[in-house]
Amino acid sequence: MKSFAAYQRFNTWVAIVIFLLGSLAFYGVLQYVLISQLNDSLKAEKQEISDYVKQYHQLPVIQNTKHQWIIIDSNLTVLPKYKFRTISVYNNAEQEMREVRQLQFILHVGSRQYLVQVNKSQAETEDLLQLIAILAFGMIALLLILNYFVNRKLVNKLFKPFQQTITAIREYKIGQSQPLQLPDSHVTEIHVLNNSLNEMSQRIYTEYRSLKSFTENAAHEMQTPLAVIRSSIESMIQQNNLDETGIQQLIAIDDNMQKLIKLHQSLLLLAKIENNQFALNEIVALDQLIQSKCDEKKSFIETRQLKLQLQLIPVQVLFHRQLTDILINNLLNNAIRYTHEKGEISVILSKEKLMICNTSFQGSLDATKVFKRFYRPMQQTEGTGLGLAIVHEICRLAEWPVHYIFEKNEHRFIIQFFKTVAK
Amino acid sequence: MKLLIIEDEVTLNKTMTGFLTAAGYLCETVSNFNDAVDKIDLYEYDCIVLDIMLPGGSGLELLQYLKTNKKNDGVIIISAKDSLDDKITGLQLGADDYLTKPFHLPELSMRVAAIIRRKKMDGQNVLNINNWLLLDTIAQKVTIQQHEIELTQKEYQLLLFFVVNKNRVLSKSAIAQHLWGDDMDLADHYDFIYTHIKNLRKKILSAGGEDCIRSIYGAGYKMQVD
Repeated sequence: MKSFAAYQRFNTWVAIVIFLLGSLAFYGVLQYVLISQLNDSLKAEKQEISDYVKQYHQLPVIQNTKHQWIIIDSNLTVLPKYKFRTISVYNNAEQEMREVRQLQFILHVGSRQYLVQVNKSQAETEDLLQLIAILAFGMIALLLILNYFVNRKLVNKLFKPFQQTITAIREYKIGQSQPLQLPDSHVTEIHVLNNSLNEMSQRIYTEYRSLKSFTENAAHEMQTPLAVIRSSIESMIQQNNLDETGIQQLIAIDDNMQKLIKLHQSLLLLAKIENNQFALNEIVALDQLIQSKCDEKKSFIETRQLKLQLQLIPVQVLFHRQLTDILINNLLNNAIRYTHEKGEISVILSKEKLMICNTSFQGSLDATKVFKRFYRPMQQTEGTGLGLAIVHEICRLAEWPVHYIFEKNEHRFIIQFFKTVAK
Repeated sequence: MKLLIIEDEVTLNKTMTGFLTAAGYLCETVSNFNDAVDKIDLYEYDCIVLDIMLPGGSGLELLQYLKTNKKNDGVIIISAKDSLDDKITGLQLGADDYLTKPFHLPELSMRVAAIIRRKKMDGQNVLNINNWLLLDTIAQKVTIQQHEIELTQKEYQLLLFFVVNKNRVLSKSAIAQHLWGDDMDLADHYDFIYTHIKNLRKKILSAGGEDCIRSIYGAGYKMQVD
């Protein structure tokens, strides 16, 4: 639920309760006032009758009207227990029950006692109250509706900079060339929010930049010492006074150096991909690339007596030549390296996807870990353990979903293309 | 053949000089930008081995300097930067080749020899090993005792690598890197080099050549010729 909706709901209920209570109180007060007025006019009537009796010592002639009538009862048996009361009386003319206000008192005329009841219709009071109630409810409704629309418009306007901030954060990528720059606002909350976000983004940006330049520098600075070690080893190997052990130790150093170099290059490549350091604007003919890669590796395939099946159709993608080259290379090399002798490798390329399969007796790899860095099934020691991680990163950069499945005794790597370049 | 080696890393400079001197080149070395400019002004070199990051200036500026002064020295860039952009810039500025650090010394030697052969258009493209083995680098033909022998592409590359680096121990990794580049891991794993060398030796022997390629304790190979 949106915070505005929550606020609105609360606000509405509070308004309804207050208006109801207010209306009830208003109703009560108004009724009290009107009834008192009625009582007063009843008392005035009583006074008139009493005054008449005092002066003339006989009962007055009563002129009853529709709204006021007086009943005089001479057969007084019980003394009345009340002065004022409201009773319901059936009205013949209007054929309905009407509320009537009644005042009764004892009248002494000479030695005789009379019970006098002065009645006044309460209809006017009721009509007034009804009108007031309708008016009150109408006002509640009107107020609530107005409140709702005004609030909605206002809140939308108030929340606009907030929405803009959210959009800006969503669209911001960490590798961007500058930190987040949200506009200032005269609304305090938005001002604080935007400023805090700008500051946070600046901090992250600075740290990211320093980390990135560290990776780059570290990578470049490592190349030279590695070159020194390698050239020194090679110079030593040339010396005639080395025995077998000496040479083999030197070669062991060089071999491990080779691994280090490969590892270092792979990590550097991964860092570069993560830093989005490639311009992805080259048209790559996948079928031609795959064909030439397969030709390059022909001798390895033949030596291992592997059967290579190619099903290629012309497909072009808009990406990066070198990265695509690495992607295909890593997948093919894996297939060649890990297929058993006389096994089969098939490469199937369509407009929608690229599938590279190789037969295996080993069963499925762990599909959840296969693209993780340094994942090596079955204690394999050769390889950097980064080949598929690089494949994964390259596909992520290209926005091509990549999957691994094990089907029909084949490892299958499937890359899907959403968009290929039409010829 | 005169080479100028421009590299500020002292040990690397020394090992390169040592290796290339032993390969028969006359090497001069400098370790900063200004000395390099002085040397280039004074002398003419068959090939310059150029590091990009130098104290006092960039190797790319030096390339520009060579170009503006119409110097025709061959140049091979050795750089710590493995970036395609640098490579393209370097080659556009007139460098003949680009080698990323860390590299194998025999590979460097090989590239330098190729640049010199290309620059010298005087028919020096036939490499001669004691008159029994002739290797024509333009026609890519190999003649042993006046008979041309058939070699596969890889065998030819392998033989050329040996001939340029004769009497040098070539480690398996240097050979693999030279022949297969990034695919060297695949080669390494299945001992491809051994197969190729065995075939090459067989072809040389059957054509009446000397059995000159020796295995060095299983760690590498060497073409031993006097």
